[in-house]
Amino acid sequence: MSEILLQVLNLKKYFPVKQGFFIKRTVAEVKAVDDVSFEVMKGKTFALVGESGCGKTTAARTILRLTDPTFGQIFFNGKDLSKLKYKELLPYRKRMQIVFQDPMGSLNPRMTVAQIVTEPMLFHGIVKNRKEAYDRAKTLMQMVGLRPFHLDRYPHQFSGGQRQRIAIARAISIEPDFIVLDEPTSSLDVSVQAQIVNMFLDFQDRFKFSYLFISHNLSLVRFISHTVGIMYLGRIVEMGDTDEIFEEPLHPYSKALLSATPIPDPIVERARKRIILTGGVPSPIKRPDGCFFNPRCPYKMDICEKEYPELRKISENRRVACHLVK
Amino acid sequence: MEAVLSVKNLSTYFYMEEGVVAAVDDVSFDLAPQEVLGIVGETGSGKSVTVKSVMRLIKSPGKIVNGQIIYKGTNILEIPENEMYKIRGKEISMVFQDPMTSLNPLYTIGDQLMETIIQHQSVSKSEAYKRAVEMLQLVQIPEPEKRMRSYPFEFSGGMRQRAVIAIALSCNPSVLIADEPTTALDVTIQAQILDLMRSLQERLKTAMIFITHDLGVIASMAHKIMVMYGGKQVEFGSAEDIFYRPIHPYTNMLLRSVPRIDRKIDRLQSIPGQPPRMIDIPKVCTFLPRCPKRTEKCQTAIPPMEEIEPGHFVRCFNPVRGDE
Repeated sequence: MSEILLQVLNLKKYFPVKQGFFIKRTVAEVKAVDDVSFEVMKGKTFALVGESGCGKTTAARTILRLTDPTFGQIFFNGKDLSKLKYKELLPYRKRMQIVFQDPMGSLNPRMTVAQIVTEPMLFHGIVKNRKEAYDRAKTLMQMVGLRPFHLDRYPHQFSGGQRQRIAIARAISIEPDFIVLDEPTSSLDVSVQAQIVNMFLDFQDRFKFSYLFISHNLSLVRFISHTVGIMYLGRIVEMGDTDEIFEEPLHPYSKALLSATPIPDPIVERARKRIILTGGVPSPIKRPDGCFFNPRCPYKMDICEKEYPELRKISENRRVACHLVK
Repeated sequence: MEAVLSVKNLSTYFYMEEGVVAAVDDVSFDLAPQEVLGIVGETGSGKSVTVKSVMRLIKSPGKIVNGQIIYKGTNILEIPENEMYKIRGKEISMVFQDPMTSLNPLYTIGDQLMETIIQHQSVSKSEAYKRAVEMLQLVQIPEPEKRMRSYPFEFSGGMRQRAVIAIALSCNPSVLIADEPTTALDVTIQAQILDLMRSLQERLKTAMIFITHDLGVIASMAHKIMVMYGGKQVEFGSAEDIFYRPIHPYTNMLLRSVPRIDRKIDRLQSIPGQPPRMIDIPKVCTFLPRCPKRTEKCQTAIPPMEEIEPGHFVRCFNPVRGDE
């Protein structure tokens, strides 16, 4: 049994919706993340999946304290980070990194690659001087499959895949324990995606990184993650061992999500029975009463309109929030 | 069966300041009636430019430099622009990736549907209205009469794409071109749209060209598949040929580089290197720099499209054989 590195307890992040011309009044709240709890094990990958607007990215940003949580606790190696002040957070920031979706947006176009990659090392004081940082940057470039001479170039001189490699070099430069991967390959072509994903796996083997992998791509989640949480409108509806969930999803939304994901195999595709959900995801400002999924759920019962089902443990490795699953 | 659309040796180049981009280079294919042809390829492989050339939507600095596009016996590259108006939207229509940009935000859905119908068919306004409502019903938009008066911003992404499909099908075209129609949508909404397109295609028997970069989507939609890389078609065949007997090294590696939800895979095959920068590329196979099977011969010329087995074509000097 591996150890817990990160434990998130009852995390909530609400955004106010303001209205009014002179006096802005809070008229509603978007409950982007609403009572989410999960664990990331040392050296393992936990994935948060869901469609756009389900709160997966907000959850990740809140954990890193890029935005402050409305409620809840974030234990990193046993220490609660949720209320720490900026200065107190710094030693933990050193151990947590993030790779964003869009490498063009996350790399400063006016900095050379060397500046980008050495900045975290210099900021967190893990190198003595610029010279040492530069030397380490050279090694990092080789680790991510680039060449040392690339250090003197600017981000715009690279392709999307190469830029993502630079972002990865920056993230691993301070040897963190925990890395958030926020849709790191969704802007890349499939042939390049495979290179980057394989690199994440190699680094995990070598450095025992723990990943929080955020994605809407279920095929990729199955490949990369050990455990997974499926989110819908701010809450986790099913969570557990990745292979078990993909073999036998229990929540109707998980079933629909898997059924909606096309498989690159024409004979399998043609023979598949699909669950086609009706309608779209409801507005996060005005979520349905009872279970949030009930308006789209093919197995809806009376109770589903009245009560939100709690996320119950139904076996050693599985939690499901559904009235149907006992 | 006689093809509805036949593209022969199509080349579309872009004349940029930095040099010439051969965005589409010597592409040929036939589209049979009632058939769904999938075009798959990565960013910049030329799939969109191919279909935009078919619609004659290429603007300067782009230019169709060579080839023929035969639609029902006529080379549509040779007809005057005002004749082309009658083909675009009526005979061949198109669904684009982003429904927010292909719909006009200032007009109601009903206006935009009726505009297309009135433009191409000699019907009265009330007749056009009736047809428009029918079209919205056909794409399963609830309360179609009410929705006729809605503006695009009042629709969700999936509904907008349904409306675009309704417009595209409103004149009962012989060929429907769908350029990444579900890429901007969430997966459950994508499943709805794909399901709708499949059932409409079977019902209306429209021939379809379906473009995507998603191998899963293409497997669920296409009868025949054309694989493009670096502006060239590298392989063409039935869906079974491409998925179960890929013979171009690129197709072969591409199929192994995608994970799938129904299987545990230990390692993805990755294709080394980067997609080509398309400016002034040498006259050799565009996959050459990344190809594990390249030989001396590859440095000398562009391989021709060759038929390896009936209906299965490949552009490669060293095709992958059997269980390689």
